Amino acid sequence: MSFLEYEFMQRALVAAVLVGVAAPAIGTFLVQRRLSLMGDGIGHIALTGVALGFLLGTAPVLTAIVVAILGAVAIELLRERGRTTGDVALALLFYGGIAGGVLLIGLSPGGSSATLVSYLFGSLSSVRPTDLVVIAGLSVAVIGVVAVFGRELFAVCSDEEVARVSGLPVRFLNILVAVTAAVTVTVAMRVVGLLLVSALMVVPVAAAQQLSASFRATLVGACAVGMLASVGGLVVAFYADVAPGASTVVLALGGFLVAALASQLRPVR
Amino acid sequence: MTVFELRGGCVALGGREILHDVSVSVDSGEFVAILGANGSGKTTLVRTLVGLVPLSAGTLEVFGTPLARFRDWPRLGYVPQRLSVGGGVPATVREVVASGRTGRAHRLRRLGRADHAAIDHALEDVGLSHRGSDAVATLSGGQQQRVLIARALAGEPEVLVLDEPTAGVDADSQDTLAGALGHLAGQGGSVVLVAHELGPLADLIGRAVVMSGGRVASDGPPPEPEGHHAHVGHIHTHAHETHDRGHPSVLEPRTFDR
Repeated sequence: MSFLEYEFMQRALVAAVLVGVAAPAIGTFLVQRRLSLMGDGIGHIALTGVALGFLLGTAPVLTAIVVAILGAVAIELLRERGRTTGDVALALLFYGGIAGGVLLIGLSPGGSSATLVSYLFGSLSSVRPTDLVVIAGLSVAVIGVVAVFGRELFAVCSDEEVARVSGLPVRFLNILVAVTAAVTVTVAMRVVGLLLVSALMVVPVAAAQQLSASFRATLVGACAVGMLASVGGLVVAFYADVAPGASTVVLALGGFLVAALASQLRPVR
Repeated sequence: MTVFELRGGCVALGGREILHDVSVSVDSGEFVAILGANGSGKTTLVRTLVGLVPLSAGTLEVFGTPLARFRDWPRLGYVPQRLSVGGGVPATVREVVASGRTGRAHRLRRLGRADHAAIDHALEDVGLSHRGSDAVATLSGGQQQRVLIARALAGEPEVLVLDEPTAGVDADSQDTLAGALGHLAGQGGSVVLVAHELGPLADLIGRAVVMSGGRVASDGPPPEPEGHHAHVGHIHTHAHETHDRGHPSVLEPRTFDR
């Protein structure tokens, strides 16, 4: 396959496989909790982090991860305090994230909103060898969190009050989900971009659940759909010269359509 | 042995006091029904007992330990009032029931033989063994309520606290439910349940705590079924008329999962 002759494509491909598995893995728990849009919010906030990196002259990934984690924990603490006030507070955080990002990039030397585009929609050539190490390490960490805490996360995301009465460390687990989601967002930002990262966390789950009766099968199926979509999206992006985030998400949505049609033919028991 | 010992309990939610100076004690092996009108504080009382609602005054001991220092949570089983089971992702009946075992399971190990046996028993107790691999969303409301009870039973609790387990449940499910709770009580377990109508549970109940306006109105043997007027519905009707008219703003806060 000719696209594999390019080193940046080899790196991008490894990153796509890892991100394609990690994003739906944590995404399944967000959907279970009915917080599908949380990844989106974190993505908005991470934009401020990226711009902060440019302003300070440090690696944007590092500042993005710090800001995304702070934002995710803030979202979780606001959510914990109640729904009515939480909703508006979340909106404020999201808009603040985008506005802050555009503002900071404008202030940074030589930066303009155009600089942010590769972070918003993903960019094939942006995965450098050192990035790949970071992406690999963090993806493994995300998958590790799901493997080790999966049972407890399922309990908390299904029924928080019952989990509390069972003595599970509910607040710790909630913050763990938030932080893991934040890490996933920053890891996936190079491949699919901040605006579409949440789609890779949610759309594969929506596709997998059309055809499965169990949580476990949905989780595994979503990871498979996510991986296929991100690898396929990368190849399409290479040949068609489009942003990989867009082609990946369109493929995942295609997967959802196929699964939805198939479930009509073979209804879940 | 005392399971719950609430003394002088006051609870305020959203700046309004819902429970006023409530003292209730439940001994091990007791089967207690919490009765009363809508807004009388039944749900708040049981949510307080399991530690979901903080006391603004008074003390609560669970199995002889002050709540703040209580760590032995697997001894408690809680069945909240829910319209349906589960979140945004499909889950099988067995997965939901197994999640009730999480508090007893080791984080880094797979569920062991004892865990699976407890899950099997819980499914059997509520008559859903044959539906284990079905998506929980495909079950009827009454069956989903039974899944919630099985989830609590899977943790092998010594006391089961249930919030309106019979609300909106078909007659078959009510009978199965009564069977499962009778089974737990037969093994020396305690049951505290909030009920609007007792139905087939009436025979199991050893004591009724009747709430009215956030206070304990009476605490003793359950009302004898003596024709229509002695039924719980009777208590309910009167409490509504006498109490709610005086305090129209007293509404019980509830959490429903969509």
